[in-house]
Amino acid sequence: MAIEQSAPAARPHWLNLRGAGRPRLLIMLCIAWLVLVLMVAIGADYLAPFAYTEQSLLNRLKPPAFLGGNPKYLLGTDGLGRDVLSRLIYATRMSVLIAIVGSMIGATVGTLLGFLAAHFRGIIEDVVMVFVDFQASMPFFIIALAVLAFFGNNFELFLVVVGLYGWEVYARLTRSLVLQANGQGYAFAIRTLGVHPVRIYARHILPNIMSVLIVQVTLNFPELILIETSLSFLGLGIQPPQTSLGLMLGEGRNYLATVWWTGIPAGLVIFLTTLSISLVGDWLRDKLDPTLKIAEA
Amino acid sequence: MMRLQFILTKLLRGLLTLLLAVTFVFIVLRVSGDPVSMMLPDDTPPAIVAEYRAAWGLDRPLPEQYVRFIWSAVHGDLGYSFRDDRPALTVVLERVPMTLLLGVCGFIITVVIGLLAGIAAALKRGTSVDHAAMAFSIFGHSMPNFFLAILMILLFSMTWRLLPSSGGATWWHLILPAVTLGIINAGTVARFTRSSMLEVLHQPYMRTARAKGLRLTRRVMSHAIPNAAIPVVTVLGLRLGGLIAGAVVVETVFAWPGIGLMLVNAVGQRDLPVVQTIVLLVALTMVITNFIVDLTYGWLDPRIENRPNKEG
Repeated sequence: MAIEQSAPAARPHWLNLRGAGRPRLLIMLCIAWLVLVLMVAIGADYLAPFAYTEQSLLNRLKPPAFLGGNPKYLLGTDGLGRDVLSRLIYATRMSVLIAIVGSMIGATVGTLLGFLAAHFRGIIEDVVMVFVDFQASMPFFIIALAVLAFFGNNFELFLVVVGLYGWEVYARLTRSLVLQANGQGYAFAIRTLGVHPVRIYARHILPNIMSVLIVQVTLNFPELILIETSLSFLGLGIQPPQTSLGLMLGEGRNYLATVWWTGIPAGLVIFLTTLSISLVGDWLRDKLDPTLKIAEA
Repeated sequence: MMRLQFILTKLLRGLLTLLLAVTFVFIVLRVSGDPVSMMLPDDTPPAIVAEYRAAWGLDRPLPEQYVRFIWSAVHGDLGYSFRDDRPALTVVLERVPMTLLLGVCGFIITVVIGLLAGIAAALKRGTSVDHAAMAFSIFGHSMPNFFLAILMILLFSMTWRLLPSSGGATWWHLILPAVTLGIINAGTVARFTRSSMLEVLHQPYMRTARAKGLRLTRRVMSHAIPNAAIPVVTVLGLRLGGLIAGAVVVETVFAWPGIGLMLVNAVGQRDLPVVQTIVLLVALTMVITNFIVDLTYGWLDPRIENRPNKEG
């Protein structure tokens, strides 16, 4: 027990919203937006006024309520008479879902490989690192396109492909962090006690490197949203009748000249969400790592 | 001696990446189904299928197929495009100039805007110039390239009717896609330039230069920028991947007749010979660029070449 206490475990102070550095108004707005997006994603079934596939051919291409349209359709309707607001809500759910599940896939695969590389070293490490280098030197977008071309598109495959985005960063990061941790006193001390390696990694080293990995998640998350929405935008990701923010903007592209409201709101949601995550992520990193501030000052 | 070893290591690494790219295509093609039915249109007569199978050695054991695949890839023999019955490589290479034109223009815009904004932000740190530059950087980082492209079309083509929105017929057509591509990547470059410059500006030699009475422009041009250049070159090299991915999207939105548009169409139509050709071509481009970036490091900072491979 005494050993565990002496471990240089950073207190998880990254959720401490009060205290010295209170978030600025902009950050609060970003957090509010992210909470809203998350609530919309969770409560889509209750919030959406219509089913996202419900067509009403009599009400095609109606402008939004604030442009003199029917107040029943707050953001207007698209070319098939579907309610844009409802579609936006479901599209948000789809994109958020993919980004969250995808983040977990990439983080888990990458972190595991990083641990394997750091534990076994030798040939396993070399193989992992060769793949890391390969992934880092090939644009992920192109690889994803190729896989979707060869295998054809289905939802599960798309989820996994998008999820794998950024695995190599986690792998490289975890490997070097674990190598560092292995050289530190606490890891050595626990090892001499005869604790099983898996337990050492899961119970002692992982908590210590977690904060860095979480920062990486905040960096990775907006890029994941961009990858998913880009692919869907090009018509190579989420397929109709399902919808995602990218697909909505892609479909709206054809009506740009006359009925911009079918696509632009989806683009705005993507932009505001990635912007918010980037700003909140920056702010979190500053809070997480006080040395950064000292170094900059 | 060190230099030769450095170059050879980097060269070997590049070749390994290329080999992995070829292997990736080989494996994916075989895991995803019968290569013949994938590579030939559905209505191909059985006789031709059998002939094709024999010609490509698909009746041979896998390792032999693998070697043959690499062999033909090295010779540029990557199958025939489904769309027009010409070799995939020929079809793809025809589009290269258009993509290069767009890429180079986008890259120049990225470098000019990114460097200027980054250097200005670092020199005027904490002022409104700095804030504006960083706001721009975050904007570029968060803005989906396809959304920016659409907004550009909405504003410049549809509302103000200044520029054409699709095609590649004239120089006017180049402006919107190139600016979109350039702005998206400029944000990241600006950010890195700023932090790299800030680090350099606090070095003792900058104080010395100032004490010598050198003018600001001289201090920045001949002392700060060369020393701040290495991280920036790295970022520019790394951004190439982003530039290629961005080009795919931007070309599609603006219907710019380059490789990116071709790739998206080929994926949609499952024109696999074209897809694999483009993937390998991208891999080759990346490897060559990384190699050049590595050599540039050595030139910018000779210490890098003499450093043994660092751990971690």
